[in-house]
Amino acid sequence: MSEPVLNGVNDSASLERGYRRLLAYYPRAFRRENEEEILAVLMACAPDGQTRPSFEATADLLKGAVRMRLRPRAGQPRTVFAAARLMWLGALAELGALITIIVTAGTVQSAIAHGDPAVASAAMTHLRADEIGAPFIIGVWLFLAWAIGRGRDAGRFAFTSFFLLITMSVILSLAQGGSAYAPADLIAGAAEWGIALAAVVLIFLPASNRYYRPAEPVLV
Amino acid sequence: MQEATFLILTALAAETQHGYGIISDVAEISGGRVKLLAGTLYTALDRLRADGLIGVDREEIVDNRLRRYYRLTPAGEKRLADEAARLHAHATAALGRLNLNLNLNLAGGVA
Repeated sequence: MSEPVLNGVNDSASLERGYRRLLAYYPRAFRRENEEEILAVLMACAPDGQTRPSFEATADLLKGAVRMRLRPRAGQPRTVFAAARLMWLGALAELGALITIIVTAGTVQSAIAHGDPAVASAAMTHLRADEIGAPFIIGVWLFLAWAIGRGRDAGRFAFTSFFLLITMSVILSLAQGGSAYAPADLIAGAAEWGIALAAVVLIFLPASNRYYRPAEPVLV
Repeated sequence: MQEATFLILTALAAETQHGYGIISDVAEISGGRVKLLAGTLYTALDRLRADGLIGVDREEIVDNRLRRYYRLTPAGEKRLADEAARLHAHATAALGRLNLNLNLNLAGGVA
């Protein structure tokens, strides 16, 4: 008599765990506000005996998680939101540069080796340095995007320093001419510089300032 | 305005509703054609709350589960009324022209 009821309890506990695993992909603030309520709706919509989230519900929940993560955080000005998005783009540009370097390294090496072996060795050292440095730079872009999005004031100044470093690196590469840099590498560098410039402007606009430095309460 | 958003606002137009109530109501309004899933519903509700078109009316605990009731704000009522008027105008125009064409075709058929 009691067995079907027990099975029912197990089924619903396992289903609920499945839904919670999916809801874990949502931003924390959204979960704090809505998780229990969504769970109640999901459980109410599920037919008896279901033990795992359906394919349809899974796809819908994951789509919602992506959508929520692409939205501005509560209280975040559009300027800051745009700056953080641009910084993701910067990481993407660096990733593009890294992939280009890895894919073309062999070709570049053989092409230069035909000319001057000494130049080839210098160029390859440079490419190796780029290969090692790129993942680090991608990490910096992403970390600063996170800090900027969260309203960390120090993040703004760290990013400004990063922007100056990019500026210097682009100027240096232009000064060296095309000898060490592949055109694709130079294009990626210029793209990152443009993206960083736009992001720096955005995070220091008056609309952004309020997010990083909320007005002090006025004492009467 | 997306159809799901329009239907959610419509579901809240007459009375406050909780999540599950909105899902059943939207299904009823659309004649069973639109079946909202929880992920879609709550990302839409989150957006509507952020835009000030809906608000939380009250919360209840039923069978150990949180049940939150939503209501339309005055801004939400205006937005829904504007959108409904726009859709109504388009629908009227479409039906009017179809009717005209139908009449012309009939007249042509007779001649």
